[in-house]
Amino acid sequence: MLLSLSWLREFTPYKGSIDELSHRLTMVGLEVEEIIRPFPHLSPLVVGRVIEKRQHPGADKLSLCSVNVGGPDSLNIVCGAPNVEAGQNVAVALEGTKLPGGQEIRKTRIRGETSQGMICSETELELGQDSAGIMVLNDGIKPGTGLSYALGLEEFVLDIGVTPNRPDCLSVLGLAREVAALFDLPLNMPVLNLYEDGDRDCTDEVQIEIEDPAGCPLYQARIISGCHIRPGPAWMRHRLMAVGVRPINNIVDVTNYIMLELGHPLHAFDRTLLEGDWIRVARAHSGSRFTTLDNQERELNDRDLLIRDTRKPVALAGVMGGANTEINDRSSEVLLECAVFNPLNIRQTARRLGLHSESSFRFERGVDQAGAPFALDRAAQLMSELGCGRVYKGVAKSEPRPCKPLQVGFRRERANSLLALDVDQEYCRRVLTSLGCQIQEESGTMQVTVPTYRPDITREVDLIEEIGRVYGLDKTPEHLPKVQKSLEQGEADHEYEFLDSIKQWARGLGLQETINYSFVGMTDLDFLGIPLEGRVRVFNPLSEEQDVMRSHLLPGLLYTLKHNLGQGNTRLRLFETARSFVQDQTSETGVRENNRLALMLYGRRHRGHWPYPQDDVDFYDLKGLVENLLQSFGSFEGHFVLQENHSYLEPAVRCVYHRKEIGLLGRVRPEQSRVYKARKDIWFADLDLDKLHELCSGVKPQFQALPRFPVVKRDMTVVAPLELGYQQVLEVVENAGVAILEDVSLVDMYLPQEQQEKKFTLRLTYRHPDRTLKDSEVDREQQKMVDLLLKKLPVGFP
Amino acid sequence: MNTVQELNNSLKSLIQEFEHILNQASSLQELEDARVVFLGRKGKLARIMSRLPELDPADRPGTGRTANEVKTELNRILENRKEALEKQAAAGGDITFDPTLPGRTPDMGSLHPVTRVIQDISNIFVGLGFDIVTGPEVETDFYNFEALNLPPGHPARDMQDTLYITKSLVLRTHTSPLQVRTMEKRRPPLAAIAPGKVYRRDSDLTHTPMFHQIEGFLVDTHVSMADLRGTLTAFAQRIFDPDVKVRFRPSFFPFTEPSAEVDISCVMCQGQGRNQDGSTCRVCKETGWVEVLGCGMIDPEVFLQVGYDPDIYTGFAFGLGVERVAMLKYGINDLRMFFENDIRFLNQFA
Repeated sequence: MLLSLSWLREFTPYKGSIDELSHRLTMVGLEVEEIIRPFPHLSPLVVGRVIEKRQHPGADKLSLCSVNVGGPDSLNIVCGAPNVEAGQNVAVALEGTKLPGGQEIRKTRIRGETSQGMICSETELELGQDSAGIMVLNDGIKPGTGLSYALGLEEFVLDIGVTPNRPDCLSVLGLAREVAALFDLPLNMPVLNLYEDGDRDCTDEVQIEIEDPAGCPLYQARIISGCHIRPGPAWMRHRLMAVGVRPINNIVDVTNYIMLELGHPLHAFDRTLLEGDWIRVARAHSGSRFTTLDNQERELNDRDLLIRDTRKPVALAGVMGGANTEINDRSSEVLLECAVFNPLNIRQTARRLGLHSESSFRFERGVDQAGAPFALDRAAQLMSELGCGRVYKGVAKSEPRPCKPLQVGFRRERANSLLALDVDQEYCRRVLTSLGCQIQEESGTMQVTVPTYRPDITREVDLIEEIGRVYGLDKTPEHLPKVQKSLEQGEADHEYEFLDSIKQWARGLGLQETINYSFVGMTDLDFLGIPLEGRVRVFNPLSEEQDVMRSHLLPGLLYTLKHNLGQGNTRLRLFETARSFVQDQTSETGVRENNRLALMLYGRRHRGHWPYPQDDVDFYDLKGLVENLLQSFGSFEGHFVLQENHSYLEPAVRCVYHRKEIGLLGRVRPEQSRVYKARKDIWFADLDLDKLHELCSGVKPQFQALPRFPVVKRDMTVVAPLELGYQQVLEVVENAGVAILEDVSLVDMYLPQEQQEKKFTLRLTYRHPDRTLKDSEVDREQQKMVDLLLKKLPVGFP
Repeated sequence: MNTVQELNNSLKSLIQEFEHILNQASSLQELEDARVVFLGRKGKLARIMSRLPELDPADRPGTGRTANEVKTELNRILENRKEALEKQAAAGGDITFDPTLPGRTPDMGSLHPVTRVIQDISNIFVGLGFDIVTGPEVETDFYNFEALNLPPGHPARDMQDTLYITKSLVLRTHTSPLQVRTMEKRRPPLAAIAPGKVYRRDSDLTHTPMFHQIEGFLVDTHVSMADLRGTLTAFAQRIFDPDVKVRFRPSFFPFTEPSAEVDISCVMCQGQGRNQDGSTCRVCKETGWVEVLGCGMIDPEVFLQVGYDPDIYTGFAFGLGVERVAMLKYGINDLRMFFENDIRFLNQFA
């Protein structure tokens, strides 16, 4: 809401500084976002008086003017306007002035004659549309006076962020009420002195019929006849411009002026284009069409409210008038509407049609029904005073749902306890009265009658807020709370702590945390071959790149990779913890959210050069991280199983623990990684943190006594065909039932070139808990495993 | 020469020989090798001593004593030399050793600045006794709006442009649904914070469609505005600067009443509105204040939704934008940096 300071001062005699005003308004919840000087470019202009006008010797259409601008010497100015005459007061741009259009005024010679400035037209100053001639100002202004001052232009405009609960503050009047209450000033309402002209009565001319009383609790109208449509008076135009409203014509300007001043949107119809003597307010038919005055044809539904004459719709109620009855140059009679519409209806219509007007903005938030008659009369009065036309007697009106002010009980103790204040009854009464409330006291409690322009106050707590707001929330006491919790209740969920410990783990292993958007494009998922079923699509995405919730973390990280490669960051060790989203009718919201951990490795294994080998990361770097994760969090070892034909990883390896799939790791298929400008292998893992959390939450360290007897270590080399996995060998050895076998580890793997077999060298560690082992029994046990291996696997021994 | 003499000479020459070899040795390993040759089980000394039985019984004690003296001497020489070598090594005597060469540094990981700020904030509130709770990011219209006193058609829904999944399912526009979810699950007294991702249909220089919030709330009997103010003032001073000034401006949120926005004195220009070089401060736009969070006393309507009696219980709630705090705290001036994940950016938060 833009508030002109001079307009405000017509309602309340605020004399203080603009900064003080801004501060106080901000601190009562009317945040002043900006202090604007609405006509900054006009400040260097001055009023000049044309002393003499001569014909330019070299050009028929130009005049030579001698202009007094207040200094000792008058200026010579060449002027091309037909209406310039000696004796006029005019607007002069002196040397060095920059006009709004960007033109800078310089001393020049025009056809041999010196010109020391410029006499300006309205258009050149962007003060109006009149470019036929120069602006002629009132007589009696002293030459040299600043033009802004002479025109009474607004000096300051406050841009105030009005919260949606305060429709009353979308008007000069409403803000003036606040200012008057804050600074203890009187509120001066404009004096109503409407002259009704002629003997015809509006109520005989127009009947109002409201079919939807809930949608339109009040509709009233007046008729202005004998209209002359022309530009509104300069002061009104300037004031409208100062607050960002484009002047149209005298009738429309008055409706806008009243809306800004009193907060009540009005609409003017060309009555000669209205058919019949009925105005009906009714819901539209679904699918019907209507052309609004911006010449857009709109399709309507049965929740839109229409204003109709006997034959046709003439306005989309509260949102925008119709093109068919718009005020035009020839309009001779005006029907002036001042109504109240249901905020929900207006909001639905405005939103659906994307048609947000100053009018719909106010109706959506709620206009003051009780103030509507005053607004209508003041508008009619202004039209009459400004010579727009004559006002018929009477008001055509229908008010099926009269409004009644609300009564709310108020307990001072409650206010003091919630705000931690100690204010007395008198203080509360004074504050609430200054805001327009009426108070009756009944045995200690106050019954507060809330003014109809404050729809936000319906409960005691709303009144308490008013006390706090005016007292100053910033001045109330403060202390730290005594936080109490009951221990019997279930503990809080540990999701945050678990995810945080995962992040700490990853950071400790030299991974960098990334955060990517939760949404990706459908095409990103398609590209990775992720099936369509189960995707959670965004209904109204900002763009196609963000139209589906990610079911996999890979796409986001691929974009991060691409960005980094583009910046020359060629070694990446990244992680992200985030949720994946999949449809799931069994979950509360129909969407299953699963916390996942993604790991991505790319480029060199080591960050430095010397003394490291310069090779790139491979599968075992990634697997090592996953193994470390499982051991750190659950002290368990996963099984890693090759998965054939995965849609975006090759190789793809599933990590499984006790038949539960914990995640997947592997290399992004080269044909896919190339698209993201990757020249090397992208190693990627996507792990289910909820499952890991579940698995590790039961794990508790259990102390075991340290061994007292020495170990015996033996190596065993197994010759295996190439396709045989290490895991298979390990499983046979571990499951051979050798009780004294404490540990097995791989000490070497030898892959002879061009041979069909490989050699695993295992180191077997034996120990007996109660005695020292004899060589012979170790030999016997080891032989047992050799025999078993030969029996179960196609292996040999060298 | 008789055997006694021969053995005694051999024993004495061992000392010189050993000394000579040890002086040549430049490493502990060489010392160890020499020790084995002279003093080992099959070493030179042992070989000489194995010949003792060849002597007359009368000569044996004398030679035996000599042998023991030699052994002691050899050990002394060895220890001395060892000590000298160790001293030499400690003094950097190894000329190939260059302490200025790069070490084998493990990779430096980093936490995203958003995570760091969430951790910092969580630590403060956990210290005050708050729990940390989490909830769904795809949220029902009920929890995201209705239960928070934002019925359909409420103009305040316009304050947050919403991304919808279906008519009744949204991407949560704030972390406030956790107020309702937590209150449903538990009974007062309760105090919790809820960090997490939130979503708005908004994307420009100062808005990203996804960002992070932390919601905090406390419900008990007799909770007042003073508790809220005390909590948030302490919080702002801990997270930004002990000298930071805090101001509470009345505002409007449908789920709190009274509501306020909290400004802190601008951390860039120390609330002066102008930088030290006299230029205008862009962070606070010359006002000296920057908005950091919204808060208020929980609206009775919200309590009614979860079946708490608003005449018995009162509470406060607040919500703050994590990226905003991170920008102020670390001086980050471009919101988009947060989600580009450029590692040169991430590295700064190791």
